[in-house]
Amino acid sequence: MKRIWTRTAAGLALAALAMIVFSSAASGSGRAPAAGYPRDATLITSGTQWGNIAGTNPYVGNYAAGMVGLVNETLLRYDPIKDVYINWLAKSAKWTGPKQYTLVVRSGIKWADGKAFTGNDVKYNVGLGHFNTAFWNNLWQNVRTIPVKGNTVVFNFKGTPNYVQWQNLMWNLPMISPTQARPLITSSAKLTTYSPANPVGTGPYKIDTTGWDPTTRVVFVRKSTWWAAAQHLSPSPKPKYIIDLVNTSNTNSLNAVLAGVEDLNNNFLPGVNTLVKQGKVQTYYKSSPYMLSANTAWLEPNTRVKPLNDLYFRKALAEALNPKQYASVAESGLVRTANSTGLLPTWNKYVNRTAVTKYGFKYSTSAAKALLKAHGYKLVGGYFTNKDGSAINLDISVPQGWSDWEAARDMIIANAKAAGIRITAKVKDYNTWQSDRNTGKFDLVIDNAYQISDNPWTYWNGIFHMPVITKGTGQTFANFERYNNTTAWKLVQRLDKTPPSQKTTIMSINKQLQTILMQRLPMIPLWYNGVWAQFTSQHWKNWPSSTTSRKYMPAMWRGYLQMTGIDMITHLAPR
Amino acid sequence: MLRYFLRKLFVYGLTFVLAVTIDWSIPHLMPGNPVLTLMGRIQIQDPKVAQQLYAHYMRAFNLDLPLWKQYWYFWVSLFHGDLGTSILQFPSSVTSIIVHAAPYTLGLLIPAILLSWYAGNKVGALAARRKVLDNTVLPLGYALTATPYMWLAIILSWTLAVIWHVFPVGYGYDPTATRGFTWAFIGSLAYHWFLPFMSLFLVSFGGWAIGMRNMIIYELESDYAHYLGALGAPQRLIRKYAFRNAMLPQITGLALSLGTILGGALVTEIVFSYPGLGYQIYRAITNEDYFVIQGIFLFIIIGVLVANFLIDIAYLIVDPRTRTGMMAGGGS
Repeated sequence: MKRIWTRTAAGLALAALAMIVFSSAASGSGRAPAAGYPRDATLITSGTQWGNIAGTNPYVGNYAAGMVGLVNETLLRYDPIKDVYINWLAKSAKWTGPKQYTLVVRSGIKWADGKAFTGNDVKYNVGLGHFNTAFWNNLWQNVRTIPVKGNTVVFNFKGTPNYVQWQNLMWNLPMISPTQARPLITSSAKLTTYSPANPVGTGPYKIDTTGWDPTTRVVFVRKSTWWAAAQHLSPSPKPKYIIDLVNTSNTNSLNAVLAGVEDLNNNFLPGVNTLVKQGKVQTYYKSSPYMLSANTAWLEPNTRVKPLNDLYFRKALAEALNPKQYASVAESGLVRTANSTGLLPTWNKYVNRTAVTKYGFKYSTSAAKALLKAHGYKLVGGYFTNKDGSAINLDISVPQGWSDWEAARDMIIANAKAAGIRITAKVKDYNTWQSDRNTGKFDLVIDNAYQISDNPWTYWNGIFHMPVITKGTGQTFANFERYNNTTAWKLVQRLDKTPPSQKTTIMSINKQLQTILMQRLPMIPLWYNGVWAQFTSQHWKNWPSSTTSRKYMPAMWRGYLQMTGIDMITHLAPR
Repeated sequence: MLRYFLRKLFVYGLTFVLAVTIDWSIPHLMPGNPVLTLMGRIQIQDPKVAQQLYAHYMRAFNLDLPLWKQYWYFWVSLFHGDLGTSILQFPSSVTSIIVHAAPYTLGLLIPAILLSWYAGNKVGALAARRKVLDNTVLPLGYALTATPYMWLAIILSWTLAVIWHVFPVGYGYDPTATRGFTWAFIGSLAYHWFLPFMSLFLVSFGGWAIGMRNMIIYELESDYAHYLGALGAPQRLIRKYAFRNAMLPQITGLALSLGTILGGALVTEIVFSYPGLGYQIYRAITNEDYFVIQGIFLFIIIGVLVANFLIDIAYLIVDPRTRTGMMAGGGS
């Protein structure tokens, strides 16, 4: 009997082990190198793919990191460091009339299946916007005709175009193969579920289907020819393979970087500044802030609740805060302090320094207290009360587990306390935090909803968007602080409808908007979150660096490869 | 015997319905809206597009239907073998997520549980009759069983992987490995499996060893053992009977451990980036992925019920008292 039990248990254990082998191995074989991907020809990255890889649909959610940029390319690209557009699949693209945009496709570009990339392919891709599940559907609604003649594509608009949004689309809309997509994308629903196993693109890489493992990695293999290298627009990338790994935790990512498993990691790793000083990893900057800036972290007040609906209270709160401390301590010096406009360094040309000097806020506990006292708030027992005498006790929340934000939150509470403002931390997991933010069930949050882009309009649209939706879903993508300012919103809409040639108008509108921001403080800018990137030169060298000509975005994050992330890859050299 | 099993099946059937109802309900009680989390990953600059996408995804996941209808469709889909589509990993199906992850979890936990059970019981039984072993095994067992899984996992990873480079830091296999039925790949799987396995094995081993040691001592102190000794039975025979009786609760514990196995060793999988079910559950819960939560917990429910059923059968085989009682009509 004992022998039966022992043998049964041993059999079960072996069967279980065999299950791993069979399940992992069964999807293998085929074209992948039998001895594994050679390490000196493989670039291993991580930090983008949180959770399983959910297919290859470049429009929705958690698709394979690297798809857009390595496989599917965009018509233009954008360099946020130089603040210039790069003609890419389009040889030229410009407004040729107040309601006309003309784009000329570059010759000699081929899809991975050998077919030529043409103007009709551009028309097809933009035309997918007619599905109401396309994120550019609103822009499509304004398109009247798209005549195509050879490689020249002309977009004629019905009304005044959304110039800013259209330009943003040109470097964010990935070109997918009509031959592959047309039979499959036949409805709005199919646009969201389209996910070919072997997507056909114009980029330098294609997916190695035999290496594909949605729980672990995506493998890209370099194509034998790439139009950009053939036309000498870009060096040919040296890594024959690029493997992007699924993230599970920052701790494991740190271990993987230190063990040399990953060449590039795009996670936030607290303490990475210590590793840089020890020479164990490299970052874009050799010293603080170490990282380029990706988005602004704002203190977002719910302007519908008392006393955050009072401008002077918000001003006092802003003056009570010490963003330098949050940047240097909570963020370990890995970020820059934001200026009073909150505009990212890439938009420095729009910053009105005079207005910043005049309307910007500075850290001063005494000034904060004086402002509150001057506007009817009374100090009782160390804390200010509302004008009607009721107690002020605001809550502040950040997504649970975001350790740097949690540290910053605690510092904010301490700063506010010193100025007599009572703020209490409320602990929420990410989904609760997001849901409460969207539905207005909060007093204060730290938020970074608006990302780097080619135009500060994306920020202004996020901050001033109207109307505020108070029922149902609440605010789904903008104006979480629920701030109503019709003047500002009209300026935002006007900015979107201003042709790029009217530079003076554009500058003027931006100056007005940042002045309104600083004067009315619907949001309080704190610091610029970084393009988290640490890399090692164990296998690859020539990483982006501020001290070299390789001033590129060192990230595989979605939306970054079509900036200058692809240049990072094409300039790497084997060790 | 037949009546016994039919009664058991009826009870298990009722339990299944109740458990699945709770399984379906729990995600819906969580605050937040998973569709909004999904939309947060899409570039949206226009409110009309936002509303269109929201309406589309609510419809796609049947979340725009009344709760009772969602519950009804859940059962209908279940009987068609359709566990739905993941919200977080849209458009991946829940079944494909489970199929990819389950082998890693089973391959990790079954050997860890079985081997720790076997080794722990053996060592625990030895410790009960050898002072030297009792003075070493018992404190070690207490230390191991009290050790949090994630702490031990991090220590093993830090020392053996990061500092000494003896084992890899994580993942299911070498990121540069080519998958296939080759010794190189199998070796890579085993190499990456070892540390997660060891962290689970060591903690579980301690628990089984202590349990068995205490049960053996209890049995050796019982009346029948003293009586056997008084009759002049050899110590080996007494220990043999004591071991059989001591095994009964250990078998129950084993069955329960195996039953909940599909929940995965969540923290272990996170520490080692091991692509099993535990990590999937963690991601699903933190992102309110209703259907993945429901699908994986469904497997846990089925696993626990099957394990309980098997343990009922095992008891009939192992324990003659249960067999006799059942045949006399007293079976539970």
